[in-house]
Amino acid sequence: MTNHLTRSLFILAAVLCVQITGSGISRADTMEPVCIQCHSKQPGRLGAPVADWRTSVHAANGISCNNCHGGDPSDFAMAMSPDRGFLGAPKDTAIPAFCGRCHVGVEKDYLGSAHGRALGRGGPQCVTCHGNHAVQLATPDLINEKSCTRCHSFERARIIKAAMADTDRQISDLERSLAQLKTTGVVTDQMDGDLFSVRNQFHRLFHSVEVDKVRSQTAAFQADLKKIRDKVDAIHAEQQRRKTWGAVVIGLLIGCGILFMLLFHAYKAELPDNDS
Amino acid sequence: METRRKFLTGILGALGAAIAGLTVYPVFKYLSPQATAGGKGRVTIPKNQVGVDQAHFFQFQGHPAVVLQKSPGVYIALSAVCTHLGCIVQWVPKKDEFLCPCHGGRYTIDGKVIAGPPPKPLPSIPVAMSGDNLLIG
Repeated sequence: MTNHLTRSLFILAAVLCVQITGSGISRADTMEPVCIQCHSKQPGRLGAPVADWRTSVHAANGISCNNCHGGDPSDFAMAMSPDRGFLGAPKDTAIPAFCGRCHVGVEKDYLGSAHGRALGRGGPQCVTCHGNHAVQLATPDLINEKSCTRCHSFERARIIKAAMADTDRQISDLERSLAQLKTTGVVTDQMDGDLFSVRNQFHRLFHSVEVDKVRSQTAAFQADLKKIRDKVDAIHAEQQRRKTWGAVVIGLLIGCGILFMLLFHAYKAELPDNDS
Repeated sequence: METRRKFLTGILGALGAAIAGLTVYPVFKYLSPQATAGGKGRVTIPKNQVGVDQAHFFQFQGHPAVVLQKSPGVYIALSAVCTHLGCIVQWVPKKDEFLCPCHGGRYTIDGKVIAGPPPKPLPSIPVAMSGDNLLIG
């Protein structure tokens, strides 16, 4: 009896221990970096980046303060220590290299462009067009008169934007199609990857700010998009075929039910009358 | 009455057979090997197109892939699709590594992740030698 009670208590203790440890781990996992815990409570320019960042594409994809600014996100005392890799805010001329640690291809195209060559001489860098902490998923809407005319006329930018418009619309349409397919249970990972790759390369093109380059390479991008579109169309056709054949099977099952009923009545009519 | 019963039973049997066929066909189709599998997906590349420490990009089963000659006579083939978000990796000969231009993912010559966001290594593809050619896949 005592042994049984001891064993039960031991099991209960073990279960509680696992529960407590488990919940502790999940709390630690979901805990925000110390940068956010501290800065979100600060007023003015020290706190504003947190609210901006929360609306950003970076926040949506789990890219936190330390991923760009370095430092230790788990230690209040050492969070901003250079010993833990803290970089702080870069100077204007260092911004392309700062962002280019992740956005490698874009940095390369930008540095080779008229924009990049004017870096440090009044030319724009990443933040000039994309903003900093509130950075959003890039779309051609970033190319607009209000933004571009801060530095030069909109004429050339308008031509580049027009050259990109059709391809970008195809990309957006495909993104919507893939999202819709996903909701019907279709595995779209490979097509998502293909589309992301095309989208990224195509948006890189703008950073060269060369109209001829955009025009000459657009055909190749559209050919890649057509391959993805063909796959999506094939899946839609297959889904339609399944719906049609599903309807046929349901019709056949209903037909079988009716035939069963008719047969049942045919046999029943031949049986001797129960009342007689 | 007998004729009516036979007629109804006949139609019922035909419908049952049709339903059975329509049920079995999708299962059969699902279990059948895919058309792209097997020898059809194999790619032949002349050895002289792949110098030592050089990368040769090609299409493998509809997706970008790369073959390298790591050292004289030793070849390795990998998928060239970054395992992060699907961009095509580039070969950086000076560093002997692959770099993804989208988010800076870096891989060793064997496709193992060195740095950046990729969650998995680049999938490898079997390489066999046949005379002056490489048979990949």
